[in-house]
Amino acid sequence: MRTRRTGVTICIYLFLVVGACISLIPLLWLIRSSFMSTEDMFKLPLILFPRKLRLMNYVDVFTMVPFARFYANTIFVVVFNIIGAMISNLMIAYGLARIEFKGRGLMFCLSIGTLMLPANVQLIPLFLEWNWFGQIDTFLPLIVPAFFGNAFFIFMLYQFLRTIPRDFDEAAFIDGASYPVIIAKIIFPLMKSAMVVVAIFQFMFTWNDFMSPLLFLNSVNRYTLAVGLRAFISTFYTPWGVLMAAATLTILPLIILFFIAQRYFISGLTVGGIKG
Amino acid sequence: MKNRVVLFISILILIGAGLCFANGQKAASSDQVKLTYIYWGSPAEDAAVKQALAGFEAANPTIKVEPMYLPGDLDGSTYNAKMKALAVSNTLPDVGYFRPEEFGNYAENGYFLKLDDLIARDGMGDAYLPQTWLKIKGDTYGAYSAAECQVMWYNKKVLRDAGVPTPPTDYKNAWNWDQFVSYLKMITIDTKGKHPGDSGFNGKDIARYGVSYDLWSAMYYPSVWSNGGDIIGLDGKTVLVDKPETIEAFQNLADLMNVHQVMPHVTGGTNISPTTMLANGQLGFYVTGQWTLLELGAMKDLDFGVAALPIMKKPAQLYVSGVNVVFNSTKHPEEAWALQKWMMDPAKTLDLYTSGLWMPTKKSYYTDPSDIAKWLENDVHPEGFKEAVVDSMAISINEPIKIKNINQIWGDYLNPAIESIWIGDKTASQALKEAAGKIRNSGLLQGSY
Amino acid sequence: MSLPKKGLNAKRQTLWGWILISPLCLGLTLWVAFPMGLSFYTSLTKWDMLSKAQFVGFQNYIKIFTEDELFLKSIRNTLYFTVLSVPLQMIIALMGALLLNSQVKGKGVFRTIFYLPSLIPIVVSSIMWLWLFNYQYGLINYFLHFLGGGRVKWIDSTQMVIPSLTIMNIWNIGNVIIIFLAGLQGIPNDLMEAVDIDGGRYWHKFRFVILPLLSPIILYNMIINSIKCLQLFVEPYIMTNGGPVNSSLSFVLHIYNNAFKYGKMGTANAMSWVLFILTMCISLIIFKTSKQWIFCEGDKQ
Repeated sequence: MRTRRTGVTICIYLFLVVGACISLIPLLWLIRSSFMSTEDMFKLPLILFPRKLRLMNYVDVFTMVPFARFYANTIFVVVFNIIGAMISNLMIAYGLARIEFKGRGLMFCLSIGTLMLPANVQLIPLFLEWNWFGQIDTFLPLIVPAFFGNAFFIFMLYQFLRTIPRDFDEAAFIDGASYPVIIAKIIFPLMKSAMVVVAIFQFMFTWNDFMSPLLFLNSVNRYTLAVGLRAFISTFYTPWGVLMAAATLTILPLIILFFIAQRYFISGLTVGGIKG
Repeated sequence: MKNRVVLFISILILIGAGLCFANGQKAASSDQVKLTYIYWGSPAEDAAVKQALAGFEAANPTIKVEPMYLPGDLDGSTYNAKMKALAVSNTLPDVGYFRPEEFGNYAENGYFLKLDDLIARDGMGDAYLPQTWLKIKGDTYGAYSAAECQVMWYNKKVLRDAGVPTPPTDYKNAWNWDQFVSYLKMITIDTKGKHPGDSGFNGKDIARYGVSYDLWSAMYYPSVWSNGGDIIGLDGKTVLVDKPETIEAFQNLADLMNVHQVMPHVTGGTNISPTTMLANGQLGFYVTGQWTLLELGAMKDLDFGVAALPIMKKPAQLYVSGVNVVFNSTKHPEEAWALQKWMMDPAKTLDLYTSGLWMPTKKSYYTDPSDIAKWLENDVHPEGFKEAVVDSMAISINEPIKIKNINQIWGDYLNPAIESIWIGDKTASQALKEAAGKIRNSGLLQGSY
Repeated sequence: MSLPKKGLNAKRQTLWGWILISPLCLGLTLWVAFPMGLSFYTSLTKWDMLSKAQFVGFQNYIKIFTEDELFLKSIRNTLYFTVLSVPLQMIIALMGALLLNSQVKGKGVFRTIFYLPSLIPIVVSSIMWLWLFNYQYGLINYFLHFLGGGRVKWIDSTQMVIPSLTIMNIWNIGNVIIIFLAGLQGIPNDLMEAVDIDGGRYWHKFRFVILPLLSPIILYNMIINSIKCLQLFVEPYIMTNGGPVNSSLSFVLHIYNNAFKYGKMGTANAMSWVLFILTMCISLIIFKTSKQWIFCEGDKQ
């Protein structure tokens, strides 16, 4: 019995390590390149690791574009987006999944339907709308929509709610709790893992979104990181090392944040015992 | 723990809010005229444009210019998307860069200010290269921002090592194609030092290539024209891409990769970084746009030269660039024109020219020795640049951007056909004849603007 | 079925329902109704957004089916990519999630590493893969060559380009994994323990506990991934521009070209609606077949 256990464990680690290598190699490649001059990057035979760390690329990132400013702008937009997404999507998903009322099926289908029309043909109409509101070149077009739910998350939380037994809500009802209380006190803790996913995804969508900031903002000092990153990519001239350094700087906070956030993937249903 | 998270978030929000307010405080005083200047480009171009705009503000204290910079110009489509959003919402800027392929359509729909009277008033018409002014049905609506063309760089050390003589710089007396190919074979070696044609030459492991051509639409014209061919007639109704001369030109280029094995295969339509390969001595020649000089000039260790483009049948050169326009919706046409004129004057944006990014559109910078010295005499421009590149602008022909649907003809039909030649799936004759037939039936040949 | 028989009457329940989904209703009116409406109207016109729109009825729809040979080609490419990607992604992601959910040391680090690829902005990862796939200088061919194999033309060949994009897509699987991972957290421990007590093997646990309890999440991932694959855009846009010879021209790239490069807004919008209907059909098929294998704790009592 014991030997089989060890065998299984070794197998698990083997798979994990192989998977980790495949995931890591492109990233390591990125970081490696960020410390190299463009000339060295293309030498044959390939130079796998730079002999001397070249920090100039990182300095260039900040001198060639106002990268620090882009950072601050992006964080500002991202924070509101996460708050908006967590509140609105949980509310909507609960309403659709748990409360029986006429029209909820239709509303659910409508919201899923919004995922199916490609986003890029809708950009110009959205621009027109924000222009009518007089909000072009402000952060509002990048923030406000997050407070109105996103079908991607609504559908996800809806599916997660389907895995949670209804006994929990019912018990609370008997105690006379109202819906907002049930959502905040019972559903939210049970859905912690899913909510972390919402936060991470919303963070990434906003962090990496290029087209909407480019369209809705006019002033360079309001641009976000994703737009700033594109300054280093062009058909005619791409400073590879600087681009790689900028990319590394862009994803670094994401890595740290994810490492912290994944700890919240603890079993949400240890209370499951109640059900018995 | 929870408190700390809340504290952290509130600090972030405060920082952000502070930034927003900081942004808000820059209302111009009421007697000032405010212009918006829209443009694309690399960070270096951005810096040079900002400097020129600041110079303009200093010279015209009553005018304030707001730069609207769009980075990330991969194929111009994001710039076009933004432009369209601005046009359809009536919020176009006053002056700025414009994508050449969209020029005709916007001009025809009245989005640009007609410049003829202003040009005549200020006596500018003859001061600039005749190719510079962009006319639609006889009226001028814009000007090329710069004069850009195709050039051939080479790594001097590679040529010396390979025993290739110094290439001619006179664009009228350049190497002919066969000479060129034979030199390329001398340069190309595999990892064991063998040349193409030697027994045991390994085409899969090449250490040094003879040449790399940039392979995208505008860059085909000089070769095609040099062989006496063409792509689409200027009337926008005749397809010339299946002319034997055109076919031969494309086959010549494809043979560099597939037959002579002196040119690297392209990945995803482009080679990753030929400038770097040139600098590393992995490449003898690099045929590309003259703007790459900005990048090469900054590589201090690279000893590079410029050669006249090889001639298939006759010398040919291309005139290509972004466009500069004044938008018709501007409330201050006089000031906007003044800004346009400022940006067209090489003396005001000299950095863009000395760094190698652009070539001037003003005539005196091609004829007057003191003006020539201003932009050519520096560490960046290699010896022979004047004879090989600057002088060749005399025979340059504009990229045909006024043909209707030309973008779609390239995108849907020509590019795929040409790709199939590059990857060796079809011969130029098969691919281009097939494409020509499809274009004729596509309904896209609707004349020109 | 209906939950609170006691406590709230039907009317108040309806009221609460609408209150909770009010952001959705507002959002649909504000950010969806107008763009979709305009998009549909545009699909019935010949319009470059500069001159006046000409109403042409369903001509755009007829034309894309009869005259545009690239339209069908782009659908074929996209479906090929979807059929290749989705099943592989689902299987590998589920396996990955199960591994990352097992009791191993350094779980957090592994989870972060597996998620890393998804953190890289897609533009940057596309450029990186352009390098990795490069025939001459790419790392993949470098290793193949090192191991004694020949070099492979990845995105330079008409046959390999879609499989290459699939490989890249599978590498970028983190999003699917963490949704599965979050789903696994919701499986009550007592059920798992019950199998252990019955002396069940891991396979039994997987077959009778994990799979049924995870089925709503599997359904979700399947649908969302199919939609995402059908909307493949950035990778071919940056890496291949649809080539070589249009063999990686995805549907959305074709729409994008028509809208922003060729100025054919009407055509682009008509294509978007075709994509809308195509996506809808595929989702419906998945939904309908899912009834047989899905198990919902929250739906049935």
